[in-house]
Amino acid sequence: MTLRDFIPHLPGCASARFILLGLLSCLTSISQAQSVNPLEGNSRAITGGGSLFRAQCATCHGADAKGIATIDAPDLTMIWSERDLSVSEVFSTIRDGVPGSIMPPHKLTDSELWMLVSYLQDVAVAGVTDLPAGDVAAGAEAFRMNCSACHRAHGQGGSLGPNLNAITTRRSLESIMASVRQPSVIIGRGFKPVRVVTSGGEEVQGVLKSEDAFSLQMLDERQRLRGFQKTELQSLERLQQSVMPPFSRTALSDSDLYHILNYIQSGAAQ
Amino acid sequence: MTKPAIKIFLALALVCVPQLPVLAQSGPSYEDILAGFSDPERWLTYSGDYSGKRHSPLAQITPENVSTLRPIWTFQTGTTTRGRGFETTPLADDGVLYVTGSNNLAWAIDARSGRTFWRYRRNLPSDLTYGASAPVNRGFGMLGERLFMVTLDAHLLAFDRRNGDILWDRELADYQVGYAATLAPLVLEDKVIVGISGGEYRTRGFIDAFDPVSGERIWRFNTIPGPGEPGSETWPDDPAVLAAGGGGTWMNGSFDPDLNLIYWGVGNPNPDYYGDSRPGDNLYSNSLVALDADTGELKWHYQFTPHDLNDWDSNHMPVLAEIEWQGQPRRVVMLGNRNGFFYVLDRVTGELLLGKPFTATTWARELDADGRPIILNDGSQGCLPDPWGSTNFMPPTFYPALELFILTARETCATYVPEEPANTPGQSNFGGTAVIDAEQGSGALRALDVHSGDLVWEFTYPSPTFGGVLSTASGLVFAGDHEGNFMAFDAESGENLWHYQTGSRIWGAAAMTFMLDGRQLVLIPSGTTLTAFALPD
Repeated sequence: MTLRDFIPHLPGCASARFILLGLLSCLTSISQAQSVNPLEGNSRAITGGGSLFRAQCATCHGADAKGIATIDAPDLTMIWSERDLSVSEVFSTIRDGVPGSIMPPHKLTDSELWMLVSYLQDVAVAGVTDLPAGDVAAGAEAFRMNCSACHRAHGQGGSLGPNLNAITTRRSLESIMASVRQPSVIIGRGFKPVRVVTSGGEEVQGVLKSEDAFSLQMLDERQRLRGFQKTELQSLERLQQSVMPPFSRTALSDSDLYHILNYIQSGAAQ
Repeated sequence: MTKPAIKIFLALALVCVPQLPVLAQSGPSYEDILAGFSDPERWLTYSGDYSGKRHSPLAQITPENVSTLRPIWTFQTGTTTRGRGFETTPLADDGVLYVTGSNNLAWAIDARSGRTFWRYRRNLPSDLTYGASAPVNRGFGMLGERLFMVTLDAHLLAFDRRNGDILWDRELADYQVGYAATLAPLVLEDKVIVGISGGEYRTRGFIDAFDPVSGERIWRFNTIPGPGEPGSETWPDDPAVLAAGGGGTWMNGSFDPDLNLIYWGVGNPNPDYYGDSRPGDNLYSNSLVALDADTGELKWHYQFTPHDLNDWDSNHMPVLAEIEWQGQPRRVVMLGNRNGFFYVLDRVTGELLLGKPFTATTWARELDADGRPIILNDGSQGCLPDPWGSTNFMPPTFYPALELFILTARETCATYVPEEPANTPGQSNFGGTAVIDAEQGSGALRALDVHSGDLVWEFTYPSPTFGGVLSTASGLVFAGDHEGNFMAFDAESGENLWHYQTGSRIWGAAAMTFMLDGRQLVLIPSGTTLTAFALPD
């Protein structure tokens, strides 16, 4: 696919469609990294970018662009929200690669690079886009009462569960609700519950941080990092139930949850 | 100084100057490499000898004392390949280690101290293709005072091993199309044998033989036949498809000097996952080929995965052994394949003697009378082993006295999403992708009875592993895992006897061992370090 295929669709180029000068101007503007993706939102560019992605990128970054942790390939759906990258930075990274890493430069045309950027913009995790209004102060109090023993937000709270500071940019409202109501259905890496009994008879429960054939590393329920040699354990049990209790609507109403999410999103500690 | 004194000094100087130092003994000959492990202070070729067994006769470190093994030095390479590994096997001669690293760095290292004599870094082009995505190297070849190394921009270099100077530099293929080279050259009496990487691009694989002195190419075997050549009937009648059919040869081969045959694995056809453009078996992709060492002529082949759709390259170390087979001595070649089967073939004729799964692969569970897999699951019946395979190029070991083939096994689950590719030279051309379920992965070190393929023992790992294996005649097996452990096992029982956390996954590398000043050293590359281990003084 060439740039010509996209010219009629380029924002800002439409009026210049049949004017040579305008066309040259568009070509000039697209031929280098710039602050606006000329193909942003273009459905054909997104589809084409998806094909390019599966051919060129998916081996490392996964077919869903969510990365593969075991080979240190980053989740590309999070680059916009977590890293605050600009389109020109993403364009340049794909073109030039990351020196000193397995991420190579790519000999793609500029239009192909912009197609890839369009695709990555399309699969970007949008986070919570439809959060109902809530009371930030009430949310702060509800967070303190229900969440802060294990979770952190605005610099306050525990560490047994994931830090929730950026949760509204990382996850949709629906998926956050699902995790609160049924936390054992999907338990993320780094938070799998385990229980060990040491040779001395001490029982320790917590979340598994790392493991190899000979040892395991966990954060126990008292939020103390503990490392164990497997030969020193009487037993090692992998639990099905998350350390996080399920919160029913009786225990935490939807509106309480909206207050909490408004508090998390509020950007200022209360 | 007075005038007479100057005269005396000059006279003495004239007498002394012509006295040239006696040159040190020249490096290893072909006969030395052929002698394999007979000199305990040497490790002269990738697997230690031509057979690929990676089984050393050394016996100072034993199951009884291995628990006291400890590091004696660590060498830091200062270069990394995020997502891949430090995959080399050092060569050892005369107290010096010759080591290659990622990004085409290389060193001569003092084996007593871990300090360098010289360092080499290739000035690589900025527009590498395959070589940029897998910037690894698996080691030197050595003959006399020469070292041989392949490069990420698909060249073969000859070095002066005394100072790291380049003696000659030959291009194997055009890196901009997608070619690269990563293996350790196989050095014979008068040839340096190398293969090529890049089967994910629009390339055509080959095996080349070069003159070690002049650097001239002696022969080339193309792994994908040309139009009308034998094997071309397993492809569409289209020269363009054949010219870009893949079939990389990026892992080392082994050599039988009596038969004068080279055994070499061939990789996936291209595109990797999209087979509609290449109906047929696609010879000689995913095969083992036996070539005449003098001419490169194909003597026989066996294809493990006909019409591969899963990127299951057959680039494994072919392991040569003499075993008793149903009451008769047989010269065999053995390997564990990415497709999940363990194979034993007669290496004179290529006859298949055994093919049996060593993992839980659902792709196939048996072979038919012609040695073809009876495919049960093309991917539509749930997940298959992932594209990295049920094992990979990480070297296995064969323990002759126990008749055990010991290899790293990977239990994985992936679904494949084929898609018609763009077929652009210089761009990877997978033809779709594979979706790996990381929650379902595990690994194991497995010892197989070579007569039955049955599992004799295993040691399990928490994740799919890429570490290779070494055995020593004292009854030990050394292996590495994805969590970074370097470990020793009892070869007979599989009991773990010792482990050391190296701090980075052991990926693609296997240990090597040799004697130095009466002490047995064991070396393992991991992450950015090479660590030497020995028993306490």
